[in-house]
Amino acid sequence: MTTQAPETASAPLPDVPVSPPPRTGNPWLPTPHGVSLVARIELRRRRPSAKGYVLYGILFAVVIAICLAAAVFAPAQLSSTNFEIVLVMVLGVGMLIAPSLSATSINGDSSEGVLAPLQMTHLTAGDIAFGKLLASWTVSVVALVALSPFLIYTFLTSGWTVVEMLVTVAAVLFVVLAFTAVGLAWSSIAARAVASVSLAHLTTGFFVIGTLIAFGIASLLVTDESPQRDQWIDWDSMTPEAQSALDNAYQTGDFSELDPDDYACVDSDWAYTVTHTDRIAWVLLVNPVVMISETAPIVDPETWEEDGRAAPGVFAGIHSLVSGARLGPEESVDEHVGFDECEQLARDIELAQMSGEEREAMWAEESAEWEDDWIEQQQEQANLDRAPWLGLGVVAALFAGSMWIVVNRLRVPYKNLRSGTRVA
Amino acid sequence: MTITEDAPATTGAIVATGVARSFGDVRAVEDATLAVRRGEVTALIGPNGCGKTTLMLMLSGLLRPHAGTITVAGADPRTDAAAVRAAIGWMPDQLGSWDNLTCLQTLTLVGEAYRIPRATARDRGAALLERVHLSEFADRPARVLSRGQKQRLSLARALVHDPAVLLLDEPANGLDPRSRVDLRVLVRQLAAEGKAVLISSHVLAELDEMVDEAVFMSKGRTLGDQATAMVADARLKYRIDALDPAALHAALTAGNVDFEITDTGAVTRIADESNAAQALAWLIGQGVAVHRFGPVGSALEQTYMAMNEERR
Repeated sequence: MTTQAPETASAPLPDVPVSPPPRTGNPWLPTPHGVSLVARIELRRRRPSAKGYVLYGILFAVVIAICLAAAVFAPAQLSSTNFEIVLVMVLGVGMLIAPSLSATSINGDSSEGVLAPLQMTHLTAGDIAFGKLLASWTVSVVALVALSPFLIYTFLTSGWTVVEMLVTVAAVLFVVLAFTAVGLAWSSIAARAVASVSLAHLTTGFFVIGTLIAFGIASLLVTDESPQRDQWIDWDSMTPEAQSALDNAYQTGDFSELDPDDYACVDSDWAYTVTHTDRIAWVLLVNPVVMISETAPIVDPETWEEDGRAAPGVFAGIHSLVSGARLGPEESVDEHVGFDECEQLARDIELAQMSGEEREAMWAEESAEWEDDWIEQQQEQANLDRAPWLGLGVVAALFAGSMWIVVNRLRVPYKNLRSGTRVA
Repeated sequence: MTITEDAPATTGAIVATGVARSFGDVRAVEDATLAVRRGEVTALIGPNGCGKTTLMLMLSGLLRPHAGTITVAGADPRTDAAAVRAAIGWMPDQLGSWDNLTCLQTLTLVGEAYRIPRATARDRGAALLERVHLSEFADRPARVLSRGQKQRLSLARALVHDPAVLLLDEPANGLDPRSRVDLRVLVRQLAAEGKAVLISSHVLAELDEMVDEAVFMSKGRTLGDQATAMVADARLKYRIDALDPAALHAALTAGNVDFEITDTGAVTRIADESNAAQALAWLIGQGVAVHRFGPVGSALEQTYMAMNEERR
């Protein structure tokens, strides 16, 4: 049946002999050569089109406008807020764009028919997985580099040290890397790009917003309740004279004419609640934004000027709020002392007997006490040890788990296929 | 046909025995057995959805069979799938190309993925583009290629690492007539270089001139000896048309020749070309006015059609 057609004897074939090395080594571990090759392929393939450049240009212009506005309207003294806004911007852009790119990169390739030819080569599953991760992540690094003039400018007035800046920038990039990996994992699980992109963003949303909602709901579960009894003046049982005298006293603030014996008190029962936020504060620490602010330096609300710091900014504010939750309520349910209006009235009458100076001295002393308490509480919250470790651990686990899934799903020969797909 | 290197001529480059694979409830391949020898072109023929692509995926080391044994270039995809993949040049049925990359970049990067040094991979890519007549597109992005051109790029991609075994899944799809002839020549050349080629196609007339062996598949099963016998038989068939069919039939009956009656003449079996020449001379000597005399047509097509008849 084989006919030696005349065409067979045509001109000598152009041929370049090649001798690829035998395929050796671990079948799935990433290798430097393979990872960089896949990343190069991905970056070249996904070079934006003209429209893409316009979109990125607009996005970049908006970000620059916000940064410029922040710089123009910023007060002259040290302020870390602008710097923190730039960091949050990098985080936001990174967490939106990088997972979007990675979440289409495996199932998209598969439906385009360009994944299997790569799997046929010497590239391992790890090469393809980490190469794609690196390529998507590089986009957010580029965003960071593009914003670096503002980052550096705002850093100079932020009162942070270089090391502190590097630590927090590294934390931002690590969070973006982890969520890029999550996008890649969804892309290796879901058959269709629409599904994997929305699942990737839902995952991001769960950690950024969902943890806050979970904290709110969980706080109901850790709220202790106990019956409390307050004492209130009984208006029904007093004489009309006593009533008008009391009204008069409340209006004028002059309690000197009143007789404590005219007034009786009645009991009023109610439920007193204390929310033990210290038991659920870990939910907040899982939040990647909280984790990043926990890597920021501690700013003391009282001594920041002497410390050479800027006034507490966004991150310090978040740290204080989270610390407040971590410290929990100051008193337990049982320690609460009910309010007694009759006792209060007796004190007011006693005060009315004193001279003006005595009274003022006493008020000053009381309010100073209150203020000291408040400052002490603020300082305690602001200076509480930073707690980024739980968040870092969760992000690291997300990263490792996602990449484990991706490498496993890319290993050939396939045992199972995504339902409704072909190998390609 | 040159048998190169260490492999003995009797050892098939691909040997598959009793291979099966199902997807959920769908039994895509139930029992496939085939052997492809070095230096030969083997066709895999069957209707749509009979499991050809699934079988090729299992042979290529991309998909794990549920049963049966496979050996490709001396390696078992179960234990050493990477070695199997390295030995195979696979041209998938699904056209995929990196749209933003040029043809030459594509081949260079694939070459690098096989750990061929970049400069060598580039030279190899340029030579392969010339071989599939895409040189003029070397520096143009793959997205401007037509379907047939992408098909040729895909073929070049399968050849980047000079594989010992080629699996070509529907390579003739979308090719213009000129490109089909080129493909046929190229496949024969590759076989002559000692490669084992397994090719699936629906263009059976094309395959007839290209392949040494044919494996028929139906409903997930390869039809072994039975189909081979049918192909061998189909190759013997000659169509004889005469101006007066009755006279032809009479002459054949008188000559004690087995034949089947057709509207315009008869179909009979003739062993080879010299026998055919003698038979024609004899018929004319008998005074039969023969106006057409020749092989019935594509042996593969006849077998394929006969197979489909049986299924009805």
